[in-house]
Amino acid sequence: MNRSLAVVCLLFMATLNAHGQGRGGGRGEAPPTPRAAAPFDMTGYWVSVVNEDWRWRMFPNKGDYAGVPLNPEGRRVADSWDPAKDEAAGEQCKAYGAVGIMRIPGRFHITWQDDQTIKIETDAGRQTRVLRFGAAQGSGADLQGVSKAEWEFPRAGLGFAIAGDRGPAQSGSLKVTTTNLRPGYLRRNGVPYSANARLTEYYDFVKGANGNTYLVLTSTLEDPTYLTQPMITAAHFKKQADAAGWNPTACAVRLERP
Amino acid sequence: MKTVIFIIAVLALFVSSTIISGQVSVQSPGIGTPLGPMIAGTDFSGSWRWLNHQDATLFTAAGDIGDWGGIPLNDAARLYALSWQASRQTVKQQQCMGYAPPYTWMSPGNHRLWEERDPFTQRLLAVHYWGQIAQVNRVVYMDGRPHPPAYAPHTFAGFSTGKYDGHVLAVTTTHIKRGWLRANGAPQSDAATVTEHLIRHGDTITVFAEVEDPVYLSETMTKTSLLSRQAVAPDAWLYACDDSEQIPGRKGDYVPSHFFGQNPFFREYADKNKVPVLAAFGGRETMYPEIYAAVKDTAAAEAAVKAKMAPSGPPQASRAPDPTPNDGNIHVFHVAGNIYMLTGDGANIAVQVGPQGALVVDTGAGKLSDKVVAEIAKISTKPIQFIVNTSFHADHVGGNKKLQAAGADPSLTGSFFSNQFADAGQGATVIGHQNVQTRMEKQSPPMDTPPSDTFIEDRRRKFHNEEPVEIFPMPNAITDGDSVVHFRKSDVIVTGDIFTTTQYPFIDTKNGGSLQGEIQALNFILDRTVYQHDEDGGTYIIPGHGRVTDEWDVAEYRDMLVIIRDRVQSMIKAGATLQQVLAARPTADYDTRFGATTGPWTTNMFVEAVYTSLKK
Repeated sequence: MNRSLAVVCLLFMATLNAHGQGRGGGRGEAPPTPRAAAPFDMTGYWVSVVNEDWRWRMFPNKGDYAGVPLNPEGRRVADSWDPAKDEAAGEQCKAYGAVGIMRIPGRFHITWQDDQTIKIETDAGRQTRVLRFGAAQGSGADLQGVSKAEWEFPRAGLGFAIAGDRGPAQSGSLKVTTTNLRPGYLRRNGVPYSANARLTEYYDFVKGANGNTYLVLTSTLEDPTYLTQPMITAAHFKKQADAAGWNPTACAVRLERP
Repeated sequence: MKTVIFIIAVLALFVSSTIISGQVSVQSPGIGTPLGPMIAGTDFSGSWRWLNHQDATLFTAAGDIGDWGGIPLNDAARLYALSWQASRQTVKQQQCMGYAPPYTWMSPGNHRLWEERDPFTQRLLAVHYWGQIAQVNRVVYMDGRPHPPAYAPHTFAGFSTGKYDGHVLAVTTTHIKRGWLRANGAPQSDAATVTEHLIRHGDTITVFAEVEDPVYLSETMTKTSLLSRQAVAPDAWLYACDDSEQIPGRKGDYVPSHFFGQNPFFREYADKNKVPVLAAFGGRETMYPEIYAAVKDTAAAEAAVKAKMAPSGPPQASRAPDPTPNDGNIHVFHVAGNIYMLTGDGANIAVQVGPQGALVVDTGAGKLSDKVVAEIAKISTKPIQFIVNTSFHADHVGGNKKLQAAGADPSLTGSFFSNQFADAGQGATVIGHQNVQTRMEKQSPPMDTPPSDTFIEDRRRKFHNEEPVEIFPMPNAITDGDSVVHFRKSDVIVTGDIFTTTQYPFIDTKNGGSLQGEIQALNFILDRTVYQHDEDGGTYIIPGHGRVTDEWDVAEYRDMLVIIRDRVQSMIKAGATLQQVLAARPTADYDTRFGATTGPWTTNMFVEAVYTSLKK
């Protein structure tokens, strides 16, 4: 009897605790804005550091979709990619959509557009991503889709007390879910994603041992049209002191090779 | 009843604290359950596998020759990689080479992570990692302990400590053996420090790694690897590897390599994948968007490729930190069994302790002998009974006089020697090759306390302190009087300067040393070593200078010398003069690890010794 009561009490406490998480203001106060609640400052200029998937990001080739869990239809589309057709159709930016842009080598300028909105501008392809906290404000499908942002914080409370060695819970991640995408390419070689694609991104802030600051991006692309399973990749960016190297260039279907 | 009251009290306290703290429910979907143990997102426990959605062709020993784009290799590392032949893996010690972090994460087998907690406090003591491929066993200590001293042995897994930075687990690893950044020749040196940041989102772990390697990288290498959780723990956790004869009849001094500028495969990867060779060659510029500008001018890029195929620029000095403290103190390190290493006064000193008197191998430079004697007294209850000299060089015998005087050899007292020598047994007995005695006596002025107990060709053996001890003469290696000492029960070999971790071998050709003898001596040592697991542990090695090692480091040293020998031999055959050989920098890929441009033993002196040896 006593044991059962103890379990009930613990569950109750856990429920209370679960509701008590986050970065809320005091009782009766309005919760802080996403900008005020940000666990880290990701504004500024960042440069992509390309090590992972170097070949496919730096010098992609048609038909080179190693690692991409394409289904037969996905492979067929990738194999039949015709860059000239894209150019003729004015579709130079199909690889610069939300799914592909963060892995294209370049620089990224991140700012708060307002207290609810993070803006990411890219020099490669001159793209702008808008990540909105709160309710999605969708419009017609475009290459950048509709991105819903939210902070994720490690929970404190009972679990924290037990696992207190994990350090203070002042950090967190930015989760971005992007849908409503116009079909595009996940690499600059015609490997497709469809309008059914859903992109989930986590941005994590890392203080490097070498004194640098990094943004680590983990992305999951779900696309039942072309993929046999969710495709998970990562990329990372180094914080720059200024806009050095910022070099806006237009979208290009073909990589200019020497 | 008491329990019920207690629970109600706790409940009331909890509710009130929640209200007082003003927490309200705001939209912040957390990561995991508040009941823990364990905050998902920060607890990495479970079975995982490498996710090949990125770097699909680069897992484990894959990766084409010349696929080094995105790695900030310096010139020495690139030359190392271009010189590397895949058939090097047929060399015995290379066959079961372990996996070093962060390359470990790219192994295709199963990975397991779990926590170790104090049974009483539930504090997190360590995070453990087991990797199936090469059976990598890592412990990430979370209890704040320091890293071992620089003169401690390295392993492929290294020594790791961890710290949570919010939900990110940051792991710092030192004491890593020379391994691969990519197992296609791109090296990671034993001076590297690796910091891995583990981030968990649901069933995915992203490992963001930083590699700082002063020897082989021109900038910190950063990379990510991905692990996917396996809902059902797999059964495959082992990796059986025993080295074996791959090519019967092959000599022990055969190490496949390409001469500088002669790797026939360096373009294959670039051509197949339409990647500019200059970009595929790696280097800091290949990590950033600026690489496109660097390869735009085809002719200039091709010229740059050609320049990178062979050494250029001035000789480079070692960038690896010296593991010897050199702080005016003697530092004692327990190696294995009865054996300790004392470091801080010239050459390393080995001390065997036990129920009999201490057996000491080499006595250092003699500047800190009083401290050496004092430290030995702390680990041995008996006085020094035997001293073995591995060489006549001053940094090995400089302490002979004081250590001998501080000891005693009770095996002589009361023996027939007492009839011949009034001082028999007074002081330790000094043992060495006859040429050590001869050369010490021939110095001007003669050196103090040469060996009185000498041998010429055959091994000296003793059963001392409850273990067999063998002293082997190594003809014409560093000098003509070198010895190595094997403590068979403790399984520790003391090499003298035949092997060091700090410099090219000090081949003293004027006193009978030779490159050929040096390589033979290293192979002799390798014939006696047994690793515990995948080139880690087992027989430990106390080098003449530097840190404690095991077989792997000796094999790497031997391989290096064979490769350099082959290069110089080839140039000699082509009629090159010493000056031409020096100008060609045949050691360029190893200079940032072992080279010196100043001091008593420069790279040029070593190359001259190689040249002189091979010209004979």
